[in-house]
Amino acid sequence: MTIEQKRKIEGVIALSLSGLAAAIGLFWLVYILTDVITHGIGALTIGLFFNDPAPAGVEGGGLRNAFVGQLMITAFSILIGVPVGVLGGTFLAEYARGRKIARIISILSDIMVSVPSIVVGAFVYAILVRPLHHFSGWAGAFALSIIMIPVVLRTTEDMLSLVPWTIREAAFALGAPYYKVIIQVVYRAAATGIFTGILLSIARIAGETAPLLFTSFNNNFHSTNMNGPMASLTVTIFQYAMGPYKSWHSQAWGAALMITLFILALTITGRLIIRWRYKR
Amino acid sequence: MTVPIEIEVKDLNFYYNGVVHALNGISLPIQKNKVTALIGPSGCGKTTLLRCFNRMHDLYPKHRYEGEIIFQERNILGNDIDLINLRSRIGMVFQKPTPFPMTIAENIAYGLRLKGVKKKNELVERIERALRHAALWEEVRDKLNSSAYDLSGGQQQRLVIARALAVEPEVLLFDEPTSALDPISTAKIEELVATLKRNITIIIVTHNMQQAARVSDMTGFLYLGELIEFGATEKIFTNPDKKQTDDYITGRFG
Repeated sequence: MTIEQKRKIEGVIALSLSGLAAAIGLFWLVYILTDVITHGIGALTIGLFFNDPAPAGVEGGGLRNAFVGQLMITAFSILIGVPVGVLGGTFLAEYARGRKIARIISILSDIMVSVPSIVVGAFVYAILVRPLHHFSGWAGAFALSIIMIPVVLRTTEDMLSLVPWTIREAAFALGAPYYKVIIQVVYRAAATGIFTGILLSIARIAGETAPLLFTSFNNNFHSTNMNGPMASLTVTIFQYAMGPYKSWHSQAWGAALMITLFILALTITGRLIIRWRYKR
Repeated sequence: MTVPIEIEVKDLNFYYNGVVHALNGISLPIQKNKVTALIGPSGCGKTTLLRCFNRMHDLYPKHRYEGEIIFQERNILGNDIDLINLRSRIGMVFQKPTPFPMTIAENIAYGLRLKGVKKKNELVERIERALRHAALWEEVRDKLNSSAYDLSGGQQQRLVIARALAVEPEVLLFDEPTSALDPISTAKIEELVATLKRNITIIIVTHNMQQAARVSDMTGFLYLGELIEFGATEKIFTNPDKKQTDDYITGRFG
């Protein structure tokens, strides 16, 4: 066998192995998606969005409480998480650049990104739920924002670090103070990257169940009171899927489909923005 | 005939990180409305010297200046100097074009807004004037609202010069402004430098000795952080006093 033939065979083997690995990964993704769609599509009725749950075991009813709760908890966690994450990332990449403290915070955030979300849930339970003796939407939003902050912070830091120094120097050379350089020049240069990071972090928290179980808990009734327990799609899916009723299972599938579509849409939007940006 | 002096450098020493002695006892006069070229091999301190004039080193920790740079009767190395004001009077153009991620018009408006120009019609008028001044107006007049990144490298460099000119500085610092450009763009920038000196004092750092000979009136040769020789460009390039200068100019080292 010549060396060329040997290399060709090695190439074919490597290609088949990596192709197989990709196929296995894709298979489960497609399987899960089709499963969620086929089971969930039937449950998507107008009532699912506009009715509150029927009493247990009774047919009908919807998940209005869970949709509203999910939106409120997510929205408030974004309101907490995005400013803290973006400003923190700005501090690391700009004001603390090159200092030891920046490195330490960066590394800690990287660790935070991979902390199991149930740990975050238990932590918030300990500091916000137990001392106050009740579950609350705020606690849920806070738990989700804790998961979100390190993701946004690290993306912001990375995106700001990618902006060439010469651009900042050029702005300084025109007589701009640092905060104006950051807000008007550096943020603009890094805008798409930071925005994409925010979208992906929202996608990350939108599917979380564990941190909400101990914090916002659940609520069978429609509620917009962030101080009380609040329903969310993910916890409802968990509860309904475990429950004994057929109608619950079907509604859980519907909720799962909606959340999957939401996350899918966010992720695809993020990817499109990246592609649109770097095409130019 | 005496020429008015715009900037006087007096026994300037500069240290990076507090210890690296990058400039050693530099003294030289910068003549008003003339082009002064700083030449020398890589690492000789010419860019370091240039960045002292607008205190660019202040962006980085642990720098240290000693000595004086007198600009309009004030020592600009003093602690009482307002850097924002100083940098709007002593502008800078960098080696690589540095357009901001905005439209062509906004790039120019940026410096103007920093200076407090707010009125729409004044902005429009001064944007046009700056672009004409930088010989870019005819090429961009129809696309003022498209991204500055759509311009070619040479056009971007002229845009950056226009942006620096818009705030009407008294001095303009050029840090190897053409080293990233093709010969035609380079020629345009050099022509521009020649016309700009009617109103502005120019200091230019260049690696290209032909360029220094073409555009400058005065030339300083730096080597290892010291100013070896300073004088009229013609003299430096034809009959330098120091052997080191002669060796560098004739290409024997560097």
